[in-house]
Amino acid sequence: MIPIPLPHYIFPSPRHFIPPPGHFTPFPCSFSPLFSPHPPHSSPHPPPIYPLPPPLHLYPPANIFMPPLPAPPRPVQKAELVRLSQTLLHVRALHWVVVEDAPAPTALVGGLLAASGVPFTHLHAPTPPEIRRRPGDPPWLRPRGVEQRNRALQWLRDTRPPGEAAVVYFADDDNTYSLRLFEEMRSTRGVSVWPVGLVGGLRFERPLVAGGRVVGFHTAWKPERPFPLDMAGFAVALPLLRARPAARFDPAAERGYLESSLLGGLVTPAQLEPKADNCTQVLVWHTRTEKPKLRQEEQLQRQGRGSDPRIEV
Amino acid sequence: MLRRRNLLTTLLIALPWALLLTLWHQYPTTPLLNGTSALRDEGLPSCVRQQQSIRATPKVIQNYVYSRPPPWSDSLPTIFVITPTYTRPVQKAELTRLANTFLHVQNLHWVVVEDSPRRTNLVSNLLEKAGLNFTHLNVETPKSLKLGLSWIPSHTPRGTLQRNLGLHWLRDSFSNTAPPEGVVYFADDDNTYSLELFEEMRYTRRVSVWPVAFVGGLRYESPKVSPAGKVVGWKTVFDPNRPFAIDMAGFAISIKLILEKPQASFKLEGVKGGYQETSLLKDLVTMDGLEPKAANCTKVLVWHTRTERPTLVNEGKRGFTDPRVEV
Repeated sequence: MIPIPLPHYIFPSPRHFIPPPGHFTPFPCSFSPLFSPHPPHSSPHPPPIYPLPPPLHLYPPANIFMPPLPAPPRPVQKAELVRLSQTLLHVRALHWVVVEDAPAPTALVGGLLAASGVPFTHLHAPTPPEIRRRPGDPPWLRPRGVEQRNRALQWLRDTRPPGEAAVVYFADDDNTYSLRLFEEMRSTRGVSVWPVGLVGGLRFERPLVAGGRVVGFHTAWKPERPFPLDMAGFAVALPLLRARPAARFDPAAERGYLESSLLGGLVTPAQLEPKADNCTQVLVWHTRTEKPKLRQEEQLQRQGRGSDPRIEV
Repeated sequence: MLRRRNLLTTLLIALPWALLLTLWHQYPTTPLLNGTSALRDEGLPSCVRQQQSIRATPKVIQNYVYSRPPPWSDSLPTIFVITPTYTRPVQKAELTRLANTFLHVQNLHWVVVEDSPRRTNLVSNLLEKAGLNFTHLNVETPKSLKLGLSWIPSHTPRGTLQRNLGLHWLRDSFSNTAPPEGVVYFADDDNTYSLELFEEMRYTRRVSVWPVAFVGGLRYESPKVSPAGKVVGWKTVFDPNRPFAIDMAGFAISIKLILEKPQASFKLEGVKGGYQETSLLKDLVTMDGLEPKAANCTKVLVWHTRTERPTLVNEGKRGFTDPRVEV
């Protein structure tokens, strides 16, 4: 057997792009291939989008409302909201509805929202003490965020002008959202669905689509649920929510049935609208942030030498 | 006659195996997380690749990218962010949200260094679609280092080779040309960065420092700053007597200093837990040369968040979900 010499490399030549210094070049190379301010004439793209701030009338106005779930004050709350706001700041025509699980809006969240640059509404709805999770309870023990999401639904129904074409998306603050997801959900007419990554003990859960309609769900955890989806896997059109004023999340729902408790009052599974290329692309991930280890902090606080509480973390 | 026939036969038998071997070498069949073999052709600058894709048969590319970084400015110092990364289920999610953050920062150049034998398609595609200025490198940490130089897994320095490769690339790129004004920042892919942080670090003259949240078992660790505005110590519980008791996310170094001291890099051998940052900084600066930022180190602008490892229990041995779908 003749030994074939194997190519040997340690540091391959890198792929990189450094823009030419100085002027703003319109050459498509400077930007993502999906976007160019001067598209070639032969391209079949729709007209280009101009740089921020984008004119809101370019597309059919479809504001996206997002009531997320800030849980009771936890150390990573500010960090989570900061990085969520950095994602949301890229999405045009978005209105962020933040509902705190607290008896009153807190200065930490209020200040963060005001500084973020995202249009927002700051609400609050405390979870009743008997349902509230106690320290030591596993995170999945009781349904979380039910009162807060229902409060947001109430605010939407009460304050938004009737006939407003908008989309409502429930976004937890520790998930990760790609920017494309928001554009996919913008065309929702009833309830739209898409895959969610890293949820249900799987790499991703997704609706099964045939002929452009949802015909089933690819999940392994409690697949017998009427809507075996994650909260981050669907969006609802606001006109539909107004047409069904009784639709809300059921606080007494069994674990995993929270989404079904809302969606069951809105649509049937056959009426779901599949997005994300017929539900073949993962555009949102159910990431969870570790609880930071604050052992030394707790020790110091017991000795009366804790860190300065005036410094906001 | 017989000998020639034997030779021919041997050649005909050996040839397909030889071809197969060369193929196997180039396209490994060990499945990566997303089930596709992940070779990328090297050497082509990404500019050229984009040109080729535009000349190809036009397909409908829907304009989902409404964001792009602010236009590059001549006068603003560049921020080179070096991020080591490795393949794991949450990798794409982490890099996506990091990209969403960096898209707000002007004059940022993202140097992503993968801990892998080859650059993966997942990271390459993500970087191209993000719209940022980037450099994509890779170097694999040898297995002997991955298992840890010490028997305590938490003391294994992680991402060291990758960060060093990032520094090496910087020194290489600016060896002949005049370096731009700028700073180097080591940003792990699971931390959280406020936009204000980048503006604080932009005008670093040598090495600047600031507090970091959720490290060392505390709400935050921070340098101790004298009323005169000089760093005089470290407010930490874990080994505050380290020469630089600071987290990787808590400092930035100016490019000029990196190029002035070409020997400075992270050490691999003999680095105790918590001393990785010291192994680099001691060759660059002394404590009184540090510049405190973030209002004399009283504001927290970066959080050392960590993402939980997702439990993929329902995948089972053979996988439940389609491996061709990238997650």
